[in-house]
Amino acid sequence: MRPRTKALVAAGSGIAAGLAGLALTALPAGADDDPVLPPIDAEQLVTSTLAAQPPAFSGVAEMQNELGLPAVPGMEALDFESVRVFHDGEEGARVQVEREASELTFVKNTDEAWAYDSQENTAKRLTWDDADAAAARGHAEGEMADPAQAAAEIIERLRPTSDIFVDGTARVADRAAYELVLTPKPSEKTLLREITVAIDEETRVPLRFDMFANGRSEPVLSLGFVEFELGAQDAELFEFTPPEGAEVETTEADDVARAAGEHDAEGAEQRATTVGDGWDTVVIVEAPAAAPAEGSAESGQDLAAVLQQIGEPVTGEFGSGSHVQIAVGGAVITQDGRIAAGAVPLQVLVDALDQE
Amino acid sequence: MTTQGPMALPEADAVPSGVLPDRRRAPITRLLRAEVRWIFRRPRTLAVLGLLAALPVITGVAVDLTMDGQGASAPAGPGGGGPGGPGGEPPIFVTMATSAFVLPLGSLMTLLMLLLPLTVAMASGDALAGEQSHGAMRGWLLAPVARGRLLVVKAVGVLVVALAASALVVTSGLVTGLVLAGTDGLVSMSGTELSVADVLWRLAIAVAWATVYLMAVGAVALAISASTEHPMVVVVSVLGGLIVSGVLMQISALDWLHPYLLPTSVTSLVDLIRDPVSFDGLGEGAFRALCYLAIGMSLAYARITTRDG
Repeated sequence: MRPRTKALVAAGSGIAAGLAGLALTALPAGADDDPVLPPIDAEQLVTSTLAAQPPAFSGVAEMQNELGLPAVPGMEALDFESVRVFHDGEEGARVQVEREASELTFVKNTDEAWAYDSQENTAKRLTWDDADAAAARGHAEGEMADPAQAAAEIIERLRPTSDIFVDGTARVADRAAYELVLTPKPSEKTLLREITVAIDEETRVPLRFDMFANGRSEPVLSLGFVEFELGAQDAELFEFTPPEGAEVETTEADDVARAAGEHDAEGAEQRATTVGDGWDTVVIVEAPAAAPAEGSAESGQDLAAVLQQIGEPVTGEFGSGSHVQIAVGGAVITQDGRIAAGAVPLQVLVDALDQE
Repeated sequence: MTTQGPMALPEADAVPSGVLPDRRRAPITRLLRAEVRWIFRRPRTLAVLGLLAALPVITGVAVDLTMDGQGASAPAGPGGGGPGGPGGEPPIFVTMATSAFVLPLGSLMTLLMLLLPLTVAMASGDALAGEQSHGAMRGWLLAPVARGRLLVVKAVGVLVVALAASALVVTSGLVTGLVLAGTDGLVSMSGTELSVADVLWRLAIAVAWATVYLMAVGAVALAISASTEHPMVVVVSVLGGLIVSGVLMQISALDWLHPYLLPTSVTSLVDLIRDPVSFDGLGEGAFRALCYLAIGMSLAYARITTRDG
């Protein structure tokens, strides 16, 4: 009998330990209590966030996407598993977007920025000269010269359409954070319920961004750190040398600015119009008939075609088109090639098109 | 013939009970040596190891021939891959699929889906059920070898197979890669060029990790092996389990179940191609494997200690 008991004990404890371990990996970490932090009002929080210098840190962010985006070409950028972020506290930053079998790597340091795609084995390099960099920095500093005023302005701009307040605290990536909440005023005809940003108490780094839609308790879009560690980072992380054989494309910041300027001029004729303001803004654009930039013309056409196929047909004074609905909004693509989109129900889109 | 090998040793060491206790035990190193020698004398072990060594070579050469210059990427995995990875995509991806870095890792990942677990399941099946079916188990069980020690010997035998098989795949891939591409293309997915030492270090981690993973499969296989006398049952159950897991992993409605499935871990080997390496996924995978190991070994122990000759 004794070996039998021993066997039962061995089997029982082994299985129990193994299953407990497996359950441990399956459980989401950190269902801790919300931390207790000194109270702060929204304006103070925004001010201090704007004033804060990003610290040196490394972190892992993950995205939960319940938007219900239709599977269309050009959306691959949203298809990733996790993002690793490194920051040296000054100019250097490194972001690695990890996909199942490839990676997008962005590296930025004082005088250049790189984007490397391992799937295509292509590297894009952006350089700027010191004068530009200094000017840009000066400009940014100028705008942010008084964070308190900047914060006040931002809040003032949001106030007519939104309620902005600090709603308690949260624990994100095992760090204590304030929850800054932005909700639409009842008069806003939007599908969004609220947007929350969790801001780290110590460093004022935004740790998590959640977007909630009406009638759902879980966020429809959540992008946030699951790991966040302060500390100096290896300087090598912020240098990039493209691997041998990679296609390298170099552009200068000046060229980009010029191209953007030209594009703006061109776009002026077919510029997007907006109807409404605040949360129920509807943006109406002419579907790009001419190529806005090389390469994207084809995908743009494809996109419109695909959207037309998967959408529900709608008709109104504006004519007819098809409506594509996602969790937080929708878009109407009309037969005559206009696209109206916003975080609003279909009726608002149709009204906006009728009004135009 | 199978009855001869490891059997001879414990029996040779059998001494009438009542003699000095330390003489009653056969030295475990001797048992282990005999077990390992016996495993590697089986033609099927050698055949499957040969196959494992050949597949990275075949993949490398095939990819090298079909790939014209750069641009070509994402070739299909080696033939042994079976019904695709958990993601449903071939797990080789990067442009330099024939490099001495990506080829061994890619081959290892693909083969971890089916062929490597099959090898380990075969060794586990032979270890207990096989001996039972030949009637050789009786000798073991009657010999003055504690049942626990018997299980340890058998488990170490499986461990050696797991280590040898994964090391062989990686070495074969490494050599093929060096022959095909030299030390070119030792590039991480993050676009950083890696030194040879760095690559070897990462490959060593991959071998160690794969061994732990395979040992988890082996432990479950040993538990089954201890409960049956048909080695075929062991192999079929393990393969069936892996295929069912693979199917379950495709069903996104069963998200909550995926952390409990052993093959969920395999894709985290990709992290070794990233720079800097993130050990989160690998650590979790190793932990998951250890959980399976605990379950499998305790069941095998329970079964073997209550077994009648």
